[in-house]
Amino acid sequence: MPRAELLTPSGLGELTAALQRTTSSSRLLAGGTDLVRSMRHDHWEPDLLIDLSGLRELVYVRLEGDRLRVGALTTFAELQTDPLVRRHARCLAEAAARVGSAQIRNVATVGGNIANASPCADGVTALVALGADVRTIDGGGRSTVRPLEQVLVGSGRTSLAPDEAITEVSFAALGSDRRTTFVKIGSRATVTVARLSMALIVKYDGVSGTVSEVRVALGAVGETAFRDARLEELLEGRAAHEESAHLFADGCTDAVRRAIPGRSSLPYKQRAAVGLAYDAWNALGLCDRCQPAWG
Amino acid sequence: MRLSLIVNGMEHELDVRPTARLIDVLRLDLGLTGVKEGCSEGECGACTVIVDDKAVNSCLVLAGQMRGKKVLTVEGLADDDGLDTLQRMFIEHGAVQCGFCTPGMLMSAKALLLADPHPSEEAIRLALAGNLCRCTGYATIVAAVRAASEQPAEAAPPPPATGRDGKAV
Amino acid sequence: MTKDLLYVGLTYPVHDAWQKVTGELVYGSDIQLPGMLYAKLLLSPIPHGMVTSIDSSAAEALPGVVKVFSHLNSPADVYCRARLTPEQELCPRDETLFSEHVRFVGDRVAAVVATSQAIAEAAMTLIDVEYEELPALFTPEEAQRRDDLPLHPGGNVFFEHEEECGRSAESRDAVVVSSTTTTPRIHHAALEPHVCVVQPHSTGGLTIWSTSQGVYGARTVVADLLGLDYHRVRVIKAPMGGSFGGKTEYILEPVTAFMAQKTRRPVKLLLDREECMIATMVRPATASTIRTACSPQGQLEDMEVATVLDAGAYASSTSDYAVHMCQKITKLYRVPHYHHRSRAVYTNTPVAGAARGWGAPEIVTALEIHMDNVAGELGIDPVDLRLMNLRHPFEVDQVTGMSLGDARVRECLERGAAAFDWSTRRGRAPGSGRFRRGVGVACGAHKNGMFGKFAEASNMTLKMNEDGTFELGASLHDPGCGIVTVMKVIVAEVLGVSPDLVAAGEADTSSTPFDYGTFGSRVTYVVGACAKATAEKLKEEIVTAAADLLHEPRERLTVERGEVHVQDDGQRGVAFRDIARLSQMRHSPAITASVTYYATSNPASYSVQFAEVEVDCATGLTAVTDFLAVGDVGQAINRGMVHAQFQGAVQMGIGYALYEHMDVDEAGRSGVDGFKNYHVVNAPDMPDIHVLLVEHSGDDGPFGAKSVGEIATVPTAAAVINAVNHALGTSLSDLPATPERVLAALHLEEVEGG
Repeated sequence: MPRAELLTPSGLGELTAALQRTTSSSRLLAGGTDLVRSMRHDHWEPDLLIDLSGLRELVYVRLEGDRLRVGALTTFAELQTDPLVRRHARCLAEAAARVGSAQIRNVATVGGNIANASPCADGVTALVALGADVRTIDGGGRSTVRPLEQVLVGSGRTSLAPDEAITEVSFAALGSDRRTTFVKIGSRATVTVARLSMALIVKYDGVSGTVSEVRVALGAVGETAFRDARLEELLEGRAAHEESAHLFADGCTDAVRRAIPGRSSLPYKQRAAVGLAYDAWNALGLCDRCQPAWG
Repeated sequence: MRLSLIVNGMEHELDVRPTARLIDVLRLDLGLTGVKEGCSEGECGACTVIVDDKAVNSCLVLAGQMRGKKVLTVEGLADDDGLDTLQRMFIEHGAVQCGFCTPGMLMSAKALLLADPHPSEEAIRLALAGNLCRCTGYATIVAAVRAASEQPAEAAPPPPATGRDGKAV
Repeated sequence: MTKDLLYVGLTYPVHDAWQKVTGELVYGSDIQLPGMLYAKLLLSPIPHGMVTSIDSSAAEALPGVVKVFSHLNSPADVYCRARLTPEQELCPRDETLFSEHVRFVGDRVAAVVATSQAIAEAAMTLIDVEYEELPALFTPEEAQRRDDLPLHPGGNVFFEHEEECGRSAESRDAVVVSSTTTTPRIHHAALEPHVCVVQPHSTGGLTIWSTSQGVYGARTVVADLLGLDYHRVRVIKAPMGGSFGGKTEYILEPVTAFMAQKTRRPVKLLLDREECMIATMVRPATASTIRTACSPQGQLEDMEVATVLDAGAYASSTSDYAVHMCQKITKLYRVPHYHHRSRAVYTNTPVAGAARGWGAPEIVTALEIHMDNVAGELGIDPVDLRLMNLRHPFEVDQVTGMSLGDARVRECLERGAAAFDWSTRRGRAPGSGRFRRGVGVACGAHKNGMFGKFAEASNMTLKMNEDGTFELGASLHDPGCGIVTVMKVIVAEVLGVSPDLVAAGEADTSSTPFDYGTFGSRVTYVVGACAKATAEKLKEEIVTAAADLLHEPRERLTVERGEVHVQDDGQRGVAFRDIARLSQMRHSPAITASVTYYATSNPASYSVQFAEVEVDCATGLTAVTDFLAVGDVGQAINRGMVHAQFQGAVQMGIGYALYEHMDVDEAGRSGVDGFKNYHVVNAPDMPDIHVLLVEHSGDDGPFGAKSVGEIATVPTAAAVINAVNHALGTSLSDLPATPERVLAALHLEEVEGG
């Protein structure tokens, strides 16, 4: 029987040494919640497994200047409650809280979520809206940074090289003038894979009552989570009232339609997008329990 | 692959396959069959154990990832003084039927009470969201956890997992 | 409730709760035997075809692999997994250990037996199988059309049944309503996967640890297939983590026994979740069309029903299911003329078979959705319509010809409606905004055992130990719901001793007397009555021994709280403990009683349930926000567990109504392969389930008790769907009411509503 080798580096030096031995059949193991299941479920083993869980130095949330830096091995349970994340990237904290079950959140990591590249990954949707950058290290010890969108190539596919490990995600911390949320529709309330998810960030001007610098990321529609420019433009400068919510909901339906034309899930998702849009809008506190037009 | 594992306060030196999951080592190598396997994909929670005070699906982690961590299984809940309060409340409140979900429920509930000794009903239900039960409709289980959280503090927090002369705690 | 009961009606944990909370209990899946081998099945990846070649050389070359089995080296004899007793009718034998002709994705093609589970799994992937594909039929409609493509000899419609009774009272101004309801193929989703362990003996016999619901039936199926005398096959009921009908039938026992026999080593076959989902058994998908005529006031005059059951690839118990679906409606309502035709059809889909409620949830869902349609058509409140037509106590069910017994469905409905505040809540407008609330009601009926079909009986032995404790020898099969405890409480009540002094275990063909097992809602009503009769007989034996010891006539003796007293002489008496010890020297070496109890009735059990839902019209997601289950249970034996049965049954019913389904895709693959995509309702989604018991104890069960576990889930789905329809003004009748279906129905209504 094929026997995988398990390496357990306890520092970045050991990690790079381990990365040098990887092939395309090797895998990095972070929390393991997807990889361990997959090995069992699909009866396969990689030739080499690098367990990252010993890299305690990659577990952190730090505010450096105006950037929030999150170590790749930070778990969703940690993100969910971290005061810095809650203050400066609330959509990420909310997304973390919606990931799987307590057991999953206790081990699943933000780095693993990216590397796994599921189109439905809650954390990734929030990070796309936040405009996150991903720092990696490779077998040669080189550390590079690139935008998250460049890492995510497709469903289950990334641009990460076999000898490349994610070490950090970082993004501009949101100031107190921002309002942000993460919302999701699954097939039940909790412990559910997203059928549709959204992270929304707006700058809210309390004096004029308008929103600007809108960022909207949609998840679980198409190959990877993505920002939708047309949707963002639609809201730019709009007043934070019910009418804008209607406009936003229509825009979301349109965005879903553009993202998955002809897909069998489209009829449902384009309708449900309305509910998602209102959930997000209401969660921002811009409107008191806005309802769809027919409501 | 050699592995040193601390389970229920006992240190074990084992020789395991590198890809052995924690559940495999617990059940097969250590005979801790109170750890149940219901789905192998982290959905049912029957395999839940506590690792360093946190609930974890033992079917989704490799044993090799447990180096230096303390693993607590349902077999380690009771001590010489008798059952853990949660175990007693599960019995008293009829939270046990077929019992296959029970060990995982107990461990998720234990982890919750370690972090939050007096959780709201909503917090209890959320903490158990990753533990499926097909028998009870959860009412008796939630009632048992609530009752345990209302007991005098004598049972919690537990002694450190490595304490008491290596005795299971 | 009878006032002078000591133990019956109180609340007890299940008998092995202590072992379960400590992790000590050895379930079927925990069993390890010295030298044990592990088996892994290779399941068909195609829905229909012929196996043309199997190359297992690579698998066999793997170190640790002991043997590879397939149709090439196993008997081609056909058997029926659902057979309980050798001469049983409606048990088509159409299944083999391994299939050459594969009929669904999940059919057993081969198995590897190896020294470890990991090796067996690795070897399984090395077996090379070639198939010649045949066109596949995924729905009963297709299967009925394609006579040219029979899945089994005899054609795809393998069973038809018809019940007709009474004369139509259809009046000229009758209001006629027709509706069709479809119920989905769902999985039982017991938490413990299916497992079987078999140890062969050098004498040629076998010991089988079976997590099934009837060890005697398992023995006959295995022994007949393998050509063994029954006394050489010992079947032990192992502790099991839930069944809900999914382990009633002998799915793994035959193939595991065969592999153990051939390898002469103990073999364990433990399925993983995906294998459980696709390759064990499911609740059949059904479609029922109901046409009723009733007076403008709401009196039922005529009912015509046609039901089609999707049996899947093998017949299993679906024929019997088809019969039973025709025997529920008349337990519930007075119908002057009732005509019901049902048919069971083979398809290239997972095998359907026994499931909690045995056809009742399926047909009652259709019936009760239909009744709401009738109420809507007539403009009558759904509760009023039902009250006008429901059965009264001791009426005769014209389909079975048997009395319905102390049938209290009307009282369930009346008391439930009051407790739920039905009129007020039904009268509230559901709202026109995004979140809409509605309430729904449904009634359900089920049975109590198999009297009228089998020689419905059970037998037991009860003995008193030398210290005055008791041991019950009975073939009990506890799926986990507390059957053993129920028997202990019944015995304890009769003898007037604490249930703690009564030991009872589970079935073992080598040591416990014959019993059919746990199904047909027979356990409390029939097996429990047997326990009571056995305890009563033992009590007589105790009195006889005491009379001997006390030198008093039996007539002067009374039994109370573990002692035999002389009447009118408070001083004189003898404790059970002393009777047991002294009598062994002076009276008889053993105080025991054996009884064969024959059931002579089969009354109906009822439940009426009320649901409140909130539907999100934007996402189509439905939340059940409140629920009341009322049960006509005769007498609760273990009160807390009766409540818990309802709570769990409602959980299952909510899943049936809103979440659970196992559709197959165009390649015949199940759309679900585990709990990730098959949602069992979890804790945050469960509302509080209020339970109200109606206890009249006018039937023959122990202390008046009737069945609970199956009836409790019968009306749930209909109550939920009726509430959704109330909230939305829709007439959804295809289960489950998924978000897609809810939104589609809502938009249809909007379009139609202009």
